[in-house]
Amino acid sequence: MHSKATPIREDGIYHSFCGLVSVGWLYQKIKDSFFLILGTHTCAHLLQNTLGVMIFARPRFAVSLLEESDLSSSQPDIAAQIEEIKREHHPSVIFLLSSCTPEVMKVEFEGLAASVSTPEVPVLFVPASGLDYTFSQSEDSVLQALIPFCPPAPPDDKRVVFLGSVNDAIADDFSLEAARLGIPVAGFLPASHFTELPPIGPGTVIAPLQPYLHKTATQLRNERGCTVLSSLFPFGPDGTRRFWEDLAAQFGMRVDLSDREAAAWERIKHHTDLLRGKKVFFASDTLMELPLARFLKACGAEVVECSTPYINRRFHAAELAALEGVRLVEQANFHRQLRTIAETKPDLIISNIITTNPLVGQGTVAKWGTEYCFLPIHGWAGVNNLVTSFTRALQRHAQLDPLGSDPIWLTGMMPSSAGGVISLQS
Amino acid sequence: MRLAYWMYEGTAHHGVGRIANSMRNVHAVFHAPQGDDYVNAIFAMLDRTPNFPAMTTSVVSGTDLARGTIRLPDTLRQVEERVHPDLIVVVASCSTILLQENLEIAAQHAGLQCDVMVYDANPYRMQEIVAAESLFTDLVKRYAQPQPRTERPTVNILGPASLGFHARHDLISLRRMLKTLGLEINVVAPWGASIADLRRLPAAWLTIAPYRELGLRAATYLEEQFGVPALLDAPIGVQPTLRWIERLRELLAQAGAEIPMPPLTAFSLDGMSAPSAVPWFARTADMDSFSGKPAFVFGDATHVVGITRFLRDELGMPIAGAGTYVKHQADWVREQLTGYVDDLLVTDEFQTVANRIAELRPELVCGTQMERHTSRRYDLNCMVISPPTHIENHLLAYRPFLGFDGADVIADEVYTTCTLGMEKHLIDLFGDAGLDLPEKREGVAVAEPAPVAPPVESSKPLAESPVAVAVTSAPAPSQTSPAAVTSAPAPVDPVWAADAEAMLKKVPFFVRGRVRGNVEKYARQRGHAVITAEVLLAAKEELGA
Repeated sequence: MHSKATPIREDGIYHSFCGLVSVGWLYQKIKDSFFLILGTHTCAHLLQNTLGVMIFARPRFAVSLLEESDLSSSQPDIAAQIEEIKREHHPSVIFLLSSCTPEVMKVEFEGLAASVSTPEVPVLFVPASGLDYTFSQSEDSVLQALIPFCPPAPPDDKRVVFLGSVNDAIADDFSLEAARLGIPVAGFLPASHFTELPPIGPGTVIAPLQPYLHKTATQLRNERGCTVLSSLFPFGPDGTRRFWEDLAAQFGMRVDLSDREAAAWERIKHHTDLLRGKKVFFASDTLMELPLARFLKACGAEVVECSTPYINRRFHAAELAALEGVRLVEQANFHRQLRTIAETKPDLIISNIITTNPLVGQGTVAKWGTEYCFLPIHGWAGVNNLVTSFTRALQRHAQLDPLGSDPIWLTGMMPSSAGGVISLQS
Repeated sequence: MRLAYWMYEGTAHHGVGRIANSMRNVHAVFHAPQGDDYVNAIFAMLDRTPNFPAMTTSVVSGTDLARGTIRLPDTLRQVEERVHPDLIVVVASCSTILLQENLEIAAQHAGLQCDVMVYDANPYRMQEIVAAESLFTDLVKRYAQPQPRTERPTVNILGPASLGFHARHDLISLRRMLKTLGLEINVVAPWGASIADLRRLPAAWLTIAPYRELGLRAATYLEEQFGVPALLDAPIGVQPTLRWIERLRELLAQAGAEIPMPPLTAFSLDGMSAPSAVPWFARTADMDSFSGKPAFVFGDATHVVGITRFLRDELGMPIAGAGTYVKHQADWVREQLTGYVDDLLVTDEFQTVANRIAELRPELVCGTQMERHTSRRYDLNCMVISPPTHIENHLLAYRPFLGFDGADVIADEVYTTCTLGMEKHLIDLFGDAGLDLPEKREGVAVAEPAPVAPPVESSKPLAESPVAVAVTSAPAPSQTSPAAVTSAPAPVDPVWAADAEAMLKKVPFFVRGRVRGNVEKYARQRGHAVITAEVLLAAKEELGA
């Protein structure tokens, strides 16, 4: 075991989703937005297959499709498409997302966005290509693009802005909780509408709700001179207590939420009993891994490995400190992970949507890490959702008849596999 | 450049993945950004693969581009070490192909024991179907060896593949029929085939390749190169299946094998009944009303031809129109559907198909998942008959489209999708037949007509579903007609006057949307800006609605 939380960086032969996928929740969060991806058939196929099952009305996202004849021009003409989008969807803002091919073509995106942007309907460039961004990371790019549209706040406006897209119910919880503690709230970035962005200035305290937004936090600190809260992310009784106590301290208040934390732990005791001593392996790709692993560690589980695409030492400092002693891996090598899984035999694997079914097919208990991007697991109200998301998988598998694990039930399920479980031990 | 919302075909690298994931000990390596790794998820989720899909992304990152790093040789070595494949197929992506790297040399650098094939699939010139078909043909050409025929007559089945549309079910149906005929199978490919199996392909007496999209060219090659006769028809429907069996026996007889025809009952599931219930079903009084239910069919080449003919020839339904997104097969489809369809729609743009459906307002839409979206919007009955596959096409029970068994499955699907005969008469006579629901629930009922398949969407309660309902049922005149929803070149939409609106309310709820659309179309054609009760009556008379 490592004595310090020192991440190991591997070569990144891993399975992950493209950064464009975050469009799936952002277009729903920002209700007057439209997301236009300048990309290829590949981008359209990606969005269709990752988001298509959820959507059947009119999606407020589309691909401006680059075809072979478009490859030679370095500055594609998207004016007509922008008009079409305005005509059909009436958005207040259009996000223009980059993708791999136009990046290789060296399309000058800033200029392209500016050329079709109007004061009435701004078109904002968002770097999101799968060359550089994974899964949740491009939310960071979208929020960065919104910064110029947050009105400036005077220095004496000392209020908190919560950072990260959460649904309205979670936002209400956080507003209420802040009011209860006497913390003044300026708003949320992003807000539900482009027209409702919060004022941000030197007196603002930025409180990050999601662990994948370090670029936005840094830019706000540099450009607006605001303070970025450095604490645990508000997941689990431990994280939520630290988050509110540290946030209150920013407003000169000392609050002690130890009773509140103890009561929250007591309410989920049945679940933490089940998690205590269980070996958990994180092999997912959402960038939620650090706080989730920290919560499980606090539950008494043994985190045998926590792999995550990227770690930012400053933004994740409090989480890293709390994870001391846990094996942390950045850009893990998938083949090596499989060997480690075979050696350590974890009781539960949090993996990504690509590897979960196959890992279950190898006789492990695995669950989608992807879900944590959509589950209401924030704050005090999210504690129960958070803990049951882990225990549900364990309990469900324990409940199923063990006869079902016989390789015979997998025969013929996959044409390229002769049939049966291929043991990770072999 | 154009604005794209939904695609019918996957990408070239997805097509390559489908072949690799179908075969034993074949692995695909994508020289691509990590974003292109999503195709793995499609296999793991839709095919619910209990093992890792047979493909790996050799990640190209932005910093790799700047430094000129190429990780491919190292990835190839790691893949060989972990999965010990017989063959690795390397393919570039839409972005890395622009780098014009020499992947052959990079692959040689890896110094592998197994075969490596750098497959030149230009993603701007080919999509899923052509990439998969060309790769499979190349593999057959590369590995098939001249050899004597098997002692007893055997057949190859080419075409079933991972993520194929009901492919596993079709394969069971074909196997059942061949077994009834006493024929053995030489090789099935790509489904479950190894490289060694591809070598043995020329030992068969006959090749069956039922799909126009995959296996056709390899079967033709085996015929031309090795003299293995090819049966390229798709046995969709009862009559086509009977003709298919006849043709199969003829071809084998020409090859020197007399295959006796067993009694038809031998093809049934219990071995003692009619092999399909369709011929009798089609003659029952219940089915009379189907002669007045026009259908629109859209999908890949194989299924559009098979289903269109089945609906007209075996169920007696009129064909309102048909179309395909497989452009390189359009001539074949047109020829096959001569006499069935005058104006074949050939397009891969989903909006164009949606507009055609909106125009035709057929009683039944047979299409892909996209047409299901469209039909829901226009409140039309829809069944899915063609890829792209969706989780709802990966069902557990036996639901083939081919053979006698497939004919029963398709007929059941048509029957349960359409509004039924006697029910329709009651509704016509009494208006709502007691089926009308309070206005509040109308939208819900309309958006979800007892469908072919339960909507997956509902399992994820997202903000979109109420939107969809609001769009389809929009009762207020200000919301205009559904046609305004798509990019249809919509002229000014007529407004409903109160008296007409009240009359429309008396139309049964589950056909109301269709009547509304037809009347609005009528009003537009006649230049009525306001739909009054008089206009509605005139439209009813004119349209017989």
